[in-house]
Order: sequence, then structure tokens, then C-alpha cells
Amino acid sequence: MKSMKELPNNKRGKKRVLFDKPRSYIMGIPIIFWLLIIIITPVILMLIMSFRQKVGYDISNILTLSNYLEILKKPSYVKILLRSFRIALIASTLAIFASYPLAYYISRKIRKGRHLLFMLIIAPLWISYLVRIIAWRAILGNKGLINSTLMALGLIKEPLSFLLYNQFAVAITLTYISIPFVFIPLYTALEKIPVNLIDAARDLGANEFHTFINVILPLCIPGLLTGFMLAFIISLGDYIIPMQLGGTGGMMLGNIIWSQFGFAFNWPLGAALGFILFSIAAVILAITQKFGSREGMLYE
Amino acid sequence: MKKERRKFKFSPLGIYAVLAYSFLYLPLAVVIVFSFSPTKSIVGFSGFTTRWYIKLFNDEALIAALIHSLQVSLTAVSIAVVVGTSGAFFLVRANFPGKQLFRSLSQLPLILPGIILGIALLILFMNLGFELSMFSILMGHVCFTTPVIMFQVASRLQRLPRSFEYAAKDLGATPVKIFWYVTLPMIRTAIIGGALLAFTMSFDEIIITYFLTGTWTTLPVFIYGMMRFGLSPQVFAISTVVLTFAMVLIVLMAKFTAVREEL
Repeated sequence: MKSMKELPNNKRGKKRVLFDKPRSYIMGIPIIFWLLIIIITPVILMLIMSFRQKVGYDISNILTLSNYLEILKKPSYVKILLRSFRIALIASTLAIFASYPLAYYISRKIRKGRHLLFMLIIAPLWISYLVRIIAWRAILGNKGLINSTLMALGLIKEPLSFLLYNQFAVAITLTYISIPFVFIPLYTALEKIPVNLIDAARDLGANEFHTFINVILPLCIPGLLTGFMLAFIISLGDYIIPMQLGGTGGMMLGNIIWSQFGFAFNWPLGAALGFILFSIAAVILAITQKFGSREGMLYE
Repeated sequence: MKKERRKFKFSPLGIYAVLAYSFLYLPLAVVIVFSFSPTKSIVGFSGFTTRWYIKLFNDEALIAALIHSLQVSLTAVSIAVVVGTSGAFFLVRANFPGKQLFRSLSQLPLILPGIILGIALLILFMNLGFELSMFSILMGHVCFTTPVIMFQVASRLQRLPRSFEYAAKDLGATPVKIFWYVTLPMIRTAIIGGALLAFTMSFDEIIITYFLTGTWTTLPVFIYGMMRFGLSPQVFAISTVVLTFAMVLIVLMAKFTAVREEL
């Protein structure tokens, strides 16, 4: 980066420039506006809001750290924060374990229809988040698929109430939501492994298991990391799923943020909680950018 | 043939794959099946009815929410196409310091939890003294649809050989003409694919929208409101409609961009 700054005309490797400089900057005007108005300014305003304080029905203009201190002092907030970490960790780990064999199977064992199978896994990424939540409520609910089937079979008399409105229901739905996010970088990592590398391992006498452990798996680590981090961030910040399937015992960070902007009406505190989430996400993303695979990040 | 069949039958990975696909699609199938069930409770599925769908068409508030959603998504995607495409040119073709930072910041709406953008935009509108309305929701949607299109177009642009453009320039074409007759046709499918993807995401979005909604609601927020009174058959019916619509868009999108290439 530094060396690029030192070069005034960094046209290294470029024989000609199609648009001259001012023109190429004109193309950037809309996107810079977008970035400034709907990304950077709101995040800065959120940061400022997090240092203000709710006084009665007003928000004071004096900047203090009191919101952050309040969060640290309240055991219930710390508890929910830790719980959110735990649920996000479980969901992203499960998503990795669920996706990896699938990515391995499709990228290495399937010849025909690979593209279709790939699309079938990532399609849920874009098709109705809300419908998928509705689906899981319909499966786990008191009158849901599992309970009604078990009752019809005469295996249980009362519906199993432990299926819905707890951390288990939240974790399984978050896993479900995360699978496509994890699958993309894993699949990309697996597909990029050159066939002759695996042939070489075979020629040297490694069986399929040893090839997998010593050759394939190490090459997947950046992809695994990216997938895991994406799933973790997405799970950590979700509030609709815990609201719909979590009950009081399954409340997560997103829920307490939401309630500050809803019933509790304490925006500064909500902004502080939001900024904590933002910082966690930013750190994780920075780690991912450094050590993870970039190609697999979503559909860039 | 025989060999292949045996291989498939006994491969534990193959069996696992079948189970995994069932895990992904059975929940959606449950929604579709229940939307045609005549009984209100899920227990005792018997017969087939389209009654709930007819009820949907008579629900004026729901139709209004659907129209709102179409309005927001179409407007947001139109803005995002212009901002995203020009942004892609900026990202790929212009040289400037801090390009990596620009790229990372532009990616944020795609990878940050939606709740952060939701509250940050809510605070922005409060500071500006705006009421929550269609405009606030629209801004929220422009926020995350723009990078979708931008990165789709940018990855296409990166792989395009410049030789056609140089040739056009040597033949005396103006930059506008070069863009219109040479570059645009080559990136058109990426723009259309990106726009379809962005539309699908926008039509479905609730996490950000929920923070920016006043009395003017979009379809997902309306459905969310319906869910407060439990899962009625209408919820399943409208979910099935939304699901089908999204599927159609995804298939179209896949036709325009081989998404695999964009990875």
C-alpha cells in the first residue's frame, strides 16, 4: 500500500489508460455518496449516540461512557451477550459440520449436474428468510409437524414443549440459515484443489483417508475460516429468529438491542449495544480478511 | 451402469447428501403442504383446498403491503443499478489510494448483521428529523442492494479484455459510445443478474426494514405482523406465494449469470 502511494502515476502494468483521470473519478461520485450517506454517516451517528445518555424522555448531548459501563455492570446483559456467543458458536460449528461433507461430495464425487446441486444449496440464501422461520415454527411448534406426528402415532399424549421457544430451536434455525453462507467458501476451496495434487498423494501411497487428512483438509482451512466467521457474525446479530423461536430463555443480543428501540425506548443504550456488535463483527471480518479465503465471501 | 449404481447405493457420503438436501428442502415443503390443508390446525392433514389463497386475494391490507414491497424493491434496485454499476467501474478501472478500504467498506452491508444497519439508519433519520415512511425503507434497501450489483458487475468487468474498447477508441469512438456499444453489451447479463438477485433480497428483507417501518409496511413486515397471532393457514399460503416468486426470480437470475463464475 505504501509503495503505491509513493508512485504518483501508478500505471504499472498498464499500457494505456482508456479514460483519463478526472473522468474515471466521475464514475465514483454516486458510490462515494452512497458510502458516505448510507454507510459511514449512520455508523458514526450510532457511535455518537452510544455516548449520549437518556435523561427522562430526552437524550442529553453530553458524551459519557455511562451506557457502556451500564452494560458491563448489568449481569443480565453480560449473560445474554455470553449466551449469544454460545448460540452463534454452536450454530456456525454445526453449519460447518453439515456443509463440509456436502461440499466435499459435490465438488469431488459428482461429475454431472454439479452446478445444479450447488445452486440448490445456495438458493435458500436468497429465498425468503421469513418463510424459513415460519417453516421451523411449523415443524417445532406445539401443533407442529413433529408433535402432531408423534401424537398421531400415539407415542406421546401431550405435545413436547421443549422443541420450541428455547435456545435449541434458535440454534437449529440459525444453523439452517447459515448453511449456504458456509457452503460457498468451502465448496470454492475444495474445487480449487488441483487434481494432480491428489493424484500425487495417491501415487505416493496415501489412501483416501490420508489424502483427505494430509492434503485436502489443510488446503480448506482458509475456506473453513471464512465460512465459520460469516456464519458466526450472521448468527450473532440475528434478532428475528430468537424473537420468533427463542422465547424468554432464548433471547440474544439482537433482542436487547431491538427492545431499546422499541419498548424500553433507550436509544443511547441500544446504540452502545449495537456498537459493541459492530466492533465484534469488524474484528472478526478483519481476521477473516487476513487469514481466510477472499474468493468465497458471498457471491462477490 | 451396474457399477455406478452400486457405488451410489453404498456411499455414505451420497446418503448423507440426500439427507442434507432433505434437511434444506423439507421445511419449505412443510410450508407448501400446510398452505393447502383444509383444517386450521396442522394435525390431521386431509384433503386439499385453495380456500386460504382466495382469502389472501380478498385481504386488502395484504395486497397493499405487496404493492408497497414491489414499489420499494423496484425503486431501490433501479437506484442500485446506477450506483452499483458506476461503482463497479470506479472499483475496477480507477486508481486511487485507499482502494482496499473502499472495497471493504462497500462490502459492509453484505456481511454486517442487518440489525446494525437498521439502527444506524434509524438514528440517521432521527437526526435528520425524517418521519419513518417509504423513503426511510427505500434508503435501507438501497443500502444493501447497491453492493450486490456492484460486486457482480465488478467481477465481470475484471475478467473483460480491454482490447475491444481500445479497438473502438482507435476507430474514433467517443467514451460514451464505447460504453454504450462496446462495454455495456458485455456486462449486460451481469447487471441483469445482479439486479434480479438484489430484487429478490430486497423483496424479502425484514431485518433492516423492521427498524425503518412506520405505518407504511412492506410485505415481509406485514407477514411478520400476521405471525403474532400464531401461524394461520393464510400465513402458509402467503409464504408459498412468496417462495414461488423468489424461486422464479432465482432461476431467472441463474440464467443471466452463471453464478458459479462470479464466485
